[in-house]
Amino acid sequence: MAVAGGPRLLAAAWIFAAAAASLPLEQAGRSQKSINCMPCSRTYIGDAYLHTLTDHAHHRGLAEMSDSDELCEGLTDDVEVPTLSELQRQLVGEGSHRHLVYSVKFSACQDAMVNFLNGYDACLVIVEKLPNGVFADPFELQHFVERKVFLDVAVFGDTNLELPSALSNRSAVEIHFDLRPSTLTNCNIVIDLPLHARYPPLDASGYATVEFGSPDLFLRYRKKETDSDSCLWVLKNLEAAPVEKAAWRIPCGDEVRIGFVSNITFLSALVCSMSIVLATLIF
Amino acid sequence: MAPAAAAVTLRRVLLASAALRLALVVFGEWQDAHLEVRYTDVDYLVFSDAAASVAAGGSPFARATYRYSPLLAFLLLPNSLLHAAWGKLLFSAADLLVGLFIDTILKLRGIPEKMRMWSVIAWLFNPFTFTIGTRGNCEPIVCAAILWILICLMKGRVFQAAFWYGLIVHFRIYPIIYAIPFVIVLGKSYAGSSGRPTLTLWRSEQHLQNDKSSQREGPTSFLATLWDFLSNFITRNAILFGLLSGSMFFVWTGVFFYLYGWEFLNEALLYHLTRTDPRHNFSIYFYHIYLHHQQGFSSIQRLASFLPQLIVQLALILRFCRDLPFCMFLQTVAFVAFNKVMTAQYFVWFFCLLPLILPWSSMKLKWKGLACMLVWMGSQLHWLMWAYLLEFKGRNVFVQLWLAGLVFLAANTFVMLMVIKHHKYTPLFSTPVKPGSKVATKKE
Repeated sequence: MAVAGGPRLLAAAWIFAAAAASLPLEQAGRSQKSINCMPCSRTYIGDAYLHTLTDHAHHRGLAEMSDSDELCEGLTDDVEVPTLSELQRQLVGEGSHRHLVYSVKFSACQDAMVNFLNGYDACLVIVEKLPNGVFADPFELQHFVERKVFLDVAVFGDTNLELPSALSNRSAVEIHFDLRPSTLTNCNIVIDLPLHARYPPLDASGYATVEFGSPDLFLRYRKKETDSDSCLWVLKNLEAAPVEKAAWRIPCGDEVRIGFVSNITFLSALVCSMSIVLATLIF
Repeated sequence: MAPAAAAVTLRRVLLASAALRLALVVFGEWQDAHLEVRYTDVDYLVFSDAAASVAAGGSPFARATYRYSPLLAFLLLPNSLLHAAWGKLLFSAADLLVGLFIDTILKLRGIPEKMRMWSVIAWLFNPFTFTIGTRGNCEPIVCAAILWILICLMKGRVFQAAFWYGLIVHFRIYPIIYAIPFVIVLGKSYAGSSGRPTLTLWRSEQHLQNDKSSQREGPTSFLATLWDFLSNFITRNAILFGLLSGSMFFVWTGVFFYLYGWEFLNEALLYHLTRTDPRHNFSIYFYHIYLHHQQGFSSIQRLASFLPQLIVQLALILRFCRDLPFCMFLQTVAFVAFNKVMTAQYFVWFFCLLPLILPWSSMKLKWKGLACMLVWMGSQLHWLMWAYLLEFKGRNVFVQLWLAGLVFLAANTFVMLMVIKHHKYTPLFSTPVKPGSKVATKKE
């Protein structure tokens, strides 16, 4: 990465900064460009997040996502790109299986959006960095793609579905929602992301609280008539304002009970096994 | 006329069962397409994804959480090539085959037609079993193979029994618990002068109740049985069975190790041998495992959780091994009850053996049989209530759920004791009468 040219390095730095969990997107984005380009062969932008989640400083994907002026030249001119007017996010449900429900509104959507969608293939990209203790099931989400609820979806990072929090790492979900006039109801899009809780580390309070940061939203588009050889996606950061933090309380075990639980468990198993042994001798 | 009538009855039962299963598969397809809650078992999606991976020239283990033999993925290749419901039809067909095998085994043991039908119905129309296959769970295949092995042993086809046994242990490891009873029954008393085993035929219920002396005809002490075992098990049949089934197991395992490497060995074999699941399940050990998942387990703790299982298995084998179907039933119930992980699909493992022991039980449905069913199902529902509160309401009820697991273990033990108490011990194969022997069985 260090050997990349100046504009490339700048682009990489922007994406990396935008993706960094500790750095809110609008802070990173405002001082830099909010429009980037990437080859159509590249499907996801979220793999950049993988490395912020696992604390690796380098990754090969950034080099491919270039926003050099030459690449984006001509693609972003004379087009009125819809902007975000409202983003809400709610954690819905109870227990270990809940949903993050996003409500997204575009400004001046009526005519401008229809005109835009007439000329461009576009999708809304949501990247949600999941806190430790919560995971998305990639196979369940794939079912949503099959049912055409999402255009595409990917999970980056630790996708092990079974491990407890203490033994697992964080992950990020990238959702592609197809933007068509038919999918926009009053320019309001509602997206439902099912999530699941891992067993949290032991805690005497009885509950662990998991908090979600703000998601990152992008608009990905390209002209409908595109030459496949020079195909590029334009990626516009929608610069969503931070949403209210969502908190998930997950019940957890109490370390104080370790001895009691283990002893009674072993004793019960022994009593039951001995009664069966006795039965084989008596009956 | 009687055999023809019996065939028609069995055929009707099987046809009705097939129609029911077909309707459920169709309904499942509809529900999956239209409702948020799927009918299809999540494991079926895993099998299907693994099969799709194989169809695309990849490894079935490319699909996370696929922890079965690659054979299953091969069996489900038509899921990708023909129709996604192929596997469900295959599992349901195996389910029907189990019904047919139950009838065959009971017929060989001389059970009257009417009693056989009730036993077959106890399997085929058990709501738990017909939903398992139609939702896409592969257990009916294992059940069918286990019963087929039993049929082979009863008919003196030792080679074939060994072939299927090695294969099914490779396919699903748990049938390894039947290895010792199989070898014991293949001892000196297995085959008579004709080279074929002589089956002990069922006697009337009245006879069972009155013939209390025969309750103690079997091996009466551990020492006697142990001696019986040691002196008898080194026979040509037993050695052949051990060698051939062992070879089958290692050949299949070797082939797939060659194809898929350590990923296969870790996921399909070693995972099951070392599995400890901290998430809630019916096992009494789940909370203990969760509480220790950050610090690990000591050797004493590992031993303490393995010892009850070992003791019970050995006691059941030593006492009941010659009454093979009964021994297998008890072994399976105990294995599931004392296992470190227990999910509802494991219950099918002993449901398929239950109809094989019913004719030898003096327990009436009124009221002891009903009491057993209520205790077993009640304790399960009680556990499910706490599991619901934990999983779907987010309430911290770990202690209550763990206690409910202990109650369920007690219920399993109670049912086992009741079943043992009311069972008429009947060796599967009759032993040649020796001078001074108390064993007197009716020859086939």
